[in-house]
Amino acid sequence: MEPPQSREDVVHPEVRAHINSLVSALGGFNDEDDGSYYRLGDDALDVLRDIKKWLRFYDEKTNRMDVARCLADANIVSGDLLHILALWSENSRDDRYKAKVALACFEILAPLTWPIEKHRETMTNNHHRHVPVLELAQLKYKRDIINFDNAQLLHIAVRAALPSMALPIGERTQRDNGIIKLVLYFVRNIAMIAPPPGLYFDGDETQISRSATIDAFSYQDIFFTFLTLASNMGEEFKTEDLVLLEILFHLIKRVDTKKLFLNEEELRRVKTDELASAMKKEASMLRSYNRKAPTRHSRFGTMLWVQKSDGKVASLSGQGALSDVSARERKMDESKTFRPPRRAAKEEMEPKDLGAPIVLNTRANKQLREFVEEFLDSGFNPLFAQVRKTIEREGTEVLHYHAQQFFYTVAWFLEAERARQHSRKGQQSTSKDEVSSFQLVAAVLNQEMFITLKRSLTTSANDGDWRTLNAVMRCFTQILLTVQEMFVSENEDDREIAENALSRLFYEEDTHDIVAAIVRTYKGQGFDYLDAAVELVHTYIRVLEAYSKENVDMQVRSKKRTRVKRKKKAQQNSGVLGGDADNQDDEVDESADDQAAAEKTSRERRFDFKKFANKFVVQDIVDTFIKYTKYYRDLNDSQLKRAHRYFYRLAFKQDMSVMLFRVDILHLLYNMIKGPEPLDPNLGMYKEWEEVIKQVIRRCVKKIEERPALIIELLFSKTTATASYLEYGHTKQVLSTASLKPAAELLFRRLDLVLDDQIAIAARLLIEKEEHGHIDWVLSQLTMCAKQREAWEASEKARLMLEAADGTMSLPDNWQAEVKEPESYGKLDIFDLFKRLEADFDSA
Amino acid sequence: RKEPGDNLGLDEEVSVAKKPRVPRIKLDADRLVSQKGIPGLRKRAKDLKLKGKGHEWRDAARILSFYQEWLDDLFPKAKFLDALAMVEKIGHTRPLHELRTNLINENKPKSSAVYEDG
Repeated sequence: MEPPQSREDVVHPEVRAHINSLVSALGGFNDEDDGSYYRLGDDALDVLRDIKKWLRFYDEKTNRMDVARCLADANIVSGDLLHILALWSENSRDDRYKAKVALACFEILAPLTWPIEKHRETMTNNHHRHVPVLELAQLKYKRDIINFDNAQLLHIAVRAALPSMALPIGERTQRDNGIIKLVLYFVRNIAMIAPPPGLYFDGDETQISRSATIDAFSYQDIFFTFLTLASNMGEEFKTEDLVLLEILFHLIKRVDTKKLFLNEEELRRVKTDELASAMKKEASMLRSYNRKAPTRHSRFGTMLWVQKSDGKVASLSGQGALSDVSARERKMDESKTFRPPRRAAKEEMEPKDLGAPIVLNTRANKQLREFVEEFLDSGFNPLFAQVRKTIEREGTEVLHYHAQQFFYTVAWFLEAERARQHSRKGQQSTSKDEVSSFQLVAAVLNQEMFITLKRSLTTSANDGDWRTLNAVMRCFTQILLTVQEMFVSENEDDREIAENALSRLFYEEDTHDIVAAIVRTYKGQGFDYLDAAVELVHTYIRVLEAYSKENVDMQVRSKKRTRVKRKKKAQQNSGVLGGDADNQDDEVDESADDQAAAEKTSRERRFDFKKFANKFVVQDIVDTFIKYTKYYRDLNDSQLKRAHRYFYRLAFKQDMSVMLFRVDILHLLYNMIKGPEPLDPNLGMYKEWEEVIKQVIRRCVKKIEERPALIIELLFSKTTATASYLEYGHTKQVLSTASLKPAAELLFRRLDLVLDDQIAIAARLLIEKEEHGHIDWVLSQLTMCAKQREAWEASEKARLMLEAADGTMSLPDNWQAEVKEPESYGKLDIFDLFKRLEADFDSA
Repeated sequence: RKEPGDNLGLDEEVSVAKKPRVPRIKLDADRLVSQKGIPGLRKRAKDLKLKGKGHEWRDAARILSFYQEWLDDLFPKAKFLDALAMVEKIGHTRPLHELRTNLINENKPKSSAVYEDG
């Protein structure tokens, strides 16, 4: 088989022939004028419409990608469409025919650059055949479009939509709205196209990088269009919000906000610093490897015996084992080949859609900074207020990823705003007469936003939608940080607003619980998610602590306690009313009332920070933080700080260092400092980590001596009971609030019986079954109780005896009220019970 | 010597049943409760000498190698961290749970009168 034939096999030959003839009919370069001038074909407009029809009715309707493949092979974009668009120059604005042709070009370009979705369920054989080729083709489209020298294609795109955009919103026809959408989607596609992970692109990467995109957007004045759209959002534009959000998201994702607001010189310094620190890190890594590297050649053949404590001997080879005990042990361990069966990590957990962190060149950095500043000043509030409303409405145009993009973008811009403030602080004092910079982001600090945020937090956590949850957590963190900064600002209004916002953020106990639940239930969602969760917890605890310290009588709404009470009451009710417990009508009635009752009974109570912090001492959360710390070689200073603060708080503020006493945790902590791959000692956090780990080990050694049982418990996770035993030497007394229910067969069906009768029946039954032992035991217990009671009463009486004037002693009349009831006896009158039981026993 | 045609082994039945595999050795609750397991660990602990304050790093290294040696004897084929994870997992099962609570109760100060609810 010849190569061209097998290539032809991929697409139906007739389709390819049709497309090729259409493309060649579009037009071409004429030899007469040196081939530098593109001539439009006679029926170019109809040809373009035909191609569009092919795309629509062959590709889309039958769910293939054949036409797109043929168009890519025919090189229609860089060969024809771009040149046709270039013909529509600025001064031929009124040329209606050319304008129509240009629009028809975009109608083809938009579907060609449309992101290819890869859902395993819907993909056909055809898709698998074409997708890799089309992905590469799209990269080439992007390269050709943003690097086209003869004309500014993005600018032309906007120009095509300009007449429609200029109309007032009421006068726009459906077609006008369609044109605006089409152009915006085209721009979005250009912003979005990026080399997919694992695909080799043999062109110049810098031509399609984010920097090149931003440069093109800035140079061709596309940013101004965005600003116009964003600042008029909700008034002149209503339905374009989601597209604009997508464009912004794809422009700013993974851009480091801190670097954005540095000037050229600082940026250069930061980059040199980065290089220097990376080299230092590498050097220290090499040093730690070399320290124990063999000093002789690899065939030197050292062999040694290691004697274990029980006298047995193991053999080892290699000089590396000579250096010290831990090296020997490591070597013995490494030689084992057994791997425990493990479930493979779920691939989809890693957030691939975001890609690697972006490094912008200086030019693009400056351009993006200018855009971001202007956007924050004018477009942020209207755009995000509108987007929030749209997402809330949950119309058909809202796709599942929009919420995620919304929260991510909001988080990014909040961070950018704070970075901007910090960079300004160094330069000049903020002018006070202007609008406070916090008002620029006020649209995401209002009550509606908080409600949306909390709801998304709950639903995405419940549904297991980790990507959205990830974005929500980042957004929540940024909101907290922004509000926190407002809280300490000099402006009094800002402070007041911040206090209000904080009290609303922390008002519901449900939010406290869900934050704790998210870190508790972390399981294999990938590092990015873990990082977001840890950051949220860190910020949440810190801000909440600061706030609750300032507001001593902070109130929190809780539903928990009252619910227990309600249940009890319901039980009593059903006990009194109906003999049989499972009364269907009763239950339905109750659940209907449930909502109202919950609202009525949910009450406010004082916030107790200590109690809140105790939610974070359970083993699962410690494990999550340990998993996070395992990445210590790759964490930066602030990330290390988060983990450090948590362990510090756990061990020394809440005195639960017991939770860290587990061999694998100790192994990790020890190896962070003294292991073969230690933390870089040049890092700022190194000293603090060393100190905290040292203290934890010291406490552990002390505890081992105090409680020998810890030797065993070091192997296992600890429940709160064992932990408190290890900490204090006794298990915490748990006062159970819920009354124990007897088993069903021990319940008296007839509730009209008085206690006496019930006891009589019970005793009778026991005797009939010849279980005298039980009755005897109860009797002996009661006798003993009675004796104790007597003794206690006598002592109480003696204590309360009054000495009269004549020297005789007498009890006061109200002595029974005076005695202090010991807690354990409760209200039950033991004498009475005892007497009754005895009587029953005798009569039986 | 066999006579030709007499006994070629044609009449013997050939068994085609697969031989069962030798069961894999596992680190399970039985092994952990056995003499080499937790009891062995307690016995060994008597030889574990720790110095306390001022010698934290040395102590930590000793504790780690103490457990490593024990696990190497108990279940030689797994690496240290893998074995630790296995042991931790088994720790949630019933026999281990009982053993652990017994060990904790052993060291508790005896309270004068503990009555259980009948």
